[in-house]
Formats: sequence, structure tokens, C-alpha cells
Amino acid sequence: MRRALLLLALVGSAASAQFPGLSRRPSVPPAPMPAPAPVPMLLGIDGMRAEFVAQSGSDKVYFGGDSAVLTAPAKATLAAQAQWLRRHPEIIVRIEGHADPSDTRDHALAVGARRAEEVRDYLVLLGVPAAQLSTVSWGKENVAVMGASQDALALNRRAVTVLVR
Amino acid sequence: MIARSASLLMMGLAMAAAPAAAQDVAAVIAIPPLTTPDDKATGTDSPAAVAWQASQLIASDLRTTAELVPVGPDQKDYYSYPEVTAPTFSRWRAKGAKFVLTGFVRSRPDGRLTVGCYVYDAVKGREVGRTGFVVAPEDWRRAAHKCSGIAYTAATGAPGIFDTRIAYVAESGPPSARVKRIAVMDGDGNNQSFLTPGDTIVLTPRLSPKAENLAYVSYLGGHANVRIINLASNEQRPLVPDSAMSFAPRFAPDGRRIVFSMQAGTNTDIYVADSSGGQAQRLTVAPGIDTDPSFAPDGTQIAFESDRSGTQQIYSMAADGTAQRRISFGGGWYAAPVWSPDGEWIAFARRVPGAGSRIGVMKPDGSGEKLLTDGALDEGPSWAASGHELIFQRSGADGRPALYRVTLAGGDARKVVTPQDASDPDWSGALD
Repeated sequence: MRRALLLLALVGSAASAQFPGLSRRPSVPPAPMPAPAPVPMLLGIDGMRAEFVAQSGSDKVYFGGDSAVLTAPAKATLAAQAQWLRRHPEIIVRIEGHADPSDTRDHALAVGARRAEEVRDYLVLLGVPAAQLSTVSWGKENVAVMGASQDALALNRRAVTVLVR
Repeated sequence: MIARSASLLMMGLAMAAAPAAAQDVAAVIAIPPLTTPDDKATGTDSPAAVAWQASQLIASDLRTTAELVPVGPDQKDYYSYPEVTAPTFSRWRAKGAKFVLTGFVRSRPDGRLTVGCYVYDAVKGREVGRTGFVVAPEDWRRAAHKCSGIAYTAATGAPGIFDTRIAYVAESGPPSARVKRIAVMDGDGNNQSFLTPGDTIVLTPRLSPKAENLAYVSYLGGHANVRIINLASNEQRPLVPDSAMSFAPRFAPDGRRIVFSMQAGTNTDIYVADSSGGQAQRLTVAPGIDTDPSFAPDGTQIAFESDRSGTQQIYSMAADGTAQRRISFGGGWYAAPVWSPDGEWIAFARRVPGAGSRIGVMKPDGSGEKLLTDGALDEGPSWAASGHELIFQRSGADGRPALYRVTLAGGDARKVVTPQDASDPDWSGALD
């Protein structure tokens, strides 16, 4: 296991040379590594995603109607996400913003973009290199939960932190 | 790629009766069958066969309007070729008709057909409109739509809506993996064709006024971007470089410029660009989401939607971006303004947060607001060329969208039949 961690660290430092954003990393020491989990020696991107979700609590944050304001629970989730992402500067991340289906087509696109941008800005504030992050809005084109109930609508107003590679 | 489907599937507009509210003022128009001097030829492309089919199509076109009630065609009402320009007015008056439409189909030596139509005021006994075309036999439908158009114009003073095209997004597949394709059909639902293969999400097709070009939004480059298709050549390209998210395109009345939205950070603003390329000019700078721009028919003003006040509201501005002012003050949220072709109205989707949205209209100064639909989730209004009617998208409880038409006069919305689920309709102006 020690060898695997060393390998990951090497990959990380090799990749960091490609990301000028890393130089703006705050000088806070990285959080202590959690106790070694029973993970496979070599994590594919699927394994990385599973680990990211497990350690961040969620890859999603939710918003109020028509709002892109980050709630306290959303900020807590993003803080955990940022902690993981800072340890994995080699991972390319896409933040996908979504609106609920009760929104109109074009406003939904703009609101989804706004949500993704707010999440990206907050992650950068928490020390994740900007170069690691991109954003996209899916408007109301990727409905997560069908239905017109308030609960269903709320579950669609989201931004998802997607590990690309 | 744009191969017009030759099969005449029955995809016409649903032929519901005209709204009861409007029927009180609707005028009866007699449609005796078009005649032909070439009654010896037979076969499906013969003048006699085309004349009968065209007569039926004209009647079915006019039956979709709120202003006219067609009577006929009836085989008993055949008349001779010379009577085309000398109808027996008393006979039609006796049947309660205010108007009568006559016409002929004649073969030409080059194999094409001449189609002529005449519209008369049966009460006053005088001609009020005429039109004539030379068409290939397989293009008889367009000639018939032109005949319907002059009858509609003679009766209402407004452009006909029959020789038009409707663009929309055809949807299929499960909710979690919708396949979306840009589709175009004739105004009566015929000639369906699909312009994109369905391998990426596409949105909001918008036809140029004469349906020569189509602007739409594609995720081909990984995010929303406006693209332009030339409908004759099927060539397409991005409107602006693929770097920023661009969306909500709409052609100016001149068919050359396009207004659209572009996003930068948390801000979305309105831009205008020449559809053939060139630098985009920024028209709004206010923080917030400015989108869904729509030109007035004279090109001097643009209506748009902005949440700069905190909620979505409708604004107007001069075409150069000056003199921006809010015009919607009815409470609630207003989205997707579209200026009517006669300049009289701005259509919109009015959102009630948590309770869906409805289609309505208001005067360009914000007065005279009225809601026209009562669906749970109605959006995306687009005007008919007449300015008397709108097409829009209605989503059902299962989230599946369909197209509907509703008249300014009121009455129930009528479903437009499409081969698949359909969203984001856009209705062209009358073609040349």
C-alpha cells in the first residue's frame, strides 16, 4: 500500500507541472490521509469516482427555485469535495449545472450555467486549481427525477461535480 | 439529408372544429371543386385528379382557421372552365356563403401544371383576390396552399399561414436518454424531414422569415452553441466561435442578422451578429440573465427577457441596445417574449413559480395582457404569419411535450399532430 501511495504522489507531482493554477494553491498542508480503505491497488476513473462520492458525501449540490445561491449544506458538501480534489490535481473535473423542468428552455440554460459557475468559483476559493475545473450547463435537458412535485423539481435544481479523467 | 418524405402519411393538423367563441364571426366560403379544361386525361397526376385533391386541401386548410368556415368541395358543384371567372353568385348566396373560391388546373406542353384561383365576394358580386402558379405536378400542394392563402387574406386582410414551414425538435426515447432531432415540416404537417441525426442534444430551431436558413442550438462541441443551417445546401457552421455558451437565437426580419444570448461567468447578455459571419455586437451589459431576444417586425426594437429586477420579466430596447425598459408588471414571472408579425402584440410564457406556465399576449407597451392557454406547462410561443394565431409547446404530466395551436380570439388549444413527441416550435412567415 505504501508503494501505491508513493506512485499516486508521483503521478500527482508529474501532472502538477501541467497545471499553472497549482502555483496559486494556498500553503495549507493537505489534510491527513484517511485511514487506508480497502481499495484496489490501481484505481480506474470509476474507482476514483466512487471514492470521491464516498469521501465528499455527494457529487451533487442542490439549489432553491431560480436560485444559484449556495446553501449551507451545499457549502459543506463542496468543502469536502474540495478537500478530495486538492489531493487529486491530476483529475480533470467538469461541473454540470442543471435547472428544473418547470423553467423555460433558455432561462434554464442560463440558470444551469450560473449554478455551475457558482460551484466552480467556490471550489477555487477553497484552493482547487481553476485549471482543473470546467463548467457546462445542461439547462433542463437532463432530468434526474421525473414529475412536477416540489420534491421532484428540487432534486433537479443541481450542480454535479463530474470526474472526467 | 433534407430529402422530403414522399410518402403522404396522414400527419395533417388535427382537424378539430374552430373554437366556438370565434365561430360567431366566421364567414362561410364555398369551395366548389376546381375545374379543368383537360378532362380527357386520367391518372393520379392528371389535371382532373389534382384539381379534386387541391380543392379538398384548400377546404381543409381553411377549416383550421377561426375566421372562415369552408363548405365543399362537393362533386355536384362542378362548373365549366369559362365559369371560373363568372361564378353564379346567387347560387352561393342562397347557400349562405359570403365568399366563393373558384379555380382551374390545366396541363402545359412541358408537363407542368398551371393552377389558377379566384376569390369572390358573393354578396357584392365582385372579385377580391386571385393567384396563379405553374408547378410540377408533384408540387400541387404548394399551389393549393397559395389558393388558401389568398382566400384567407381576402377575408381577413392578414397573410395566409398555409404555404409556410414549421421547425421543431422531434423527441424520442426514455426520459433519461431523450434523442432530439431538428425537424421541419410544412405548415399543414406534411413533408416531414429531419436535419440532425440525433447523436447530440439540439434545441430551439428558428427559421429565417422565408425559411431559407435555420438557426438552432447544438451540444456538438460539448456545450450549447448556436449553429446555422442553409436549408437548400444543408451546409452548417457555428454562428460564433465555439468558446462560450451561446443560445436563444432568432432571426431579424431582414433574415440576415441574428440576435442571441452568450454566457460569460454568471452573466448572460444579448448580442447581435450577421448570420453569414463576423463580429458579434453586445447589446446588453446588465448583471443577470438577459435572453430570448425577439425583433419587432420593423427591425427597430427588440423584446427580451431579463432577471435584472430579481425575477424574469419582459423588457424592450432599441435595436442598438439603447432605451432599455421593463414592460411586464402583471406580477409573476414572464419569459420568452416574441413580437407578432403585425407588430401589435408580444407573446410570452407567464410562469407561476411552482405552478407551471401559460401562454399569453400583451401590447408592446405592456398593456392589454391576456392569457390564452391553461395547460400545466405551456411554453415557447411562436406566431403564425397571420398574427392571429400561435403555436407553442405543451408538456404533459409525464413530461412528454407536444405542439399545440391557439388563436388570439380565444378558445381551446388544438393539438398539432407530429410523428414523434415535439418541442420548441417555430413557424415561418409566408413563403414566396
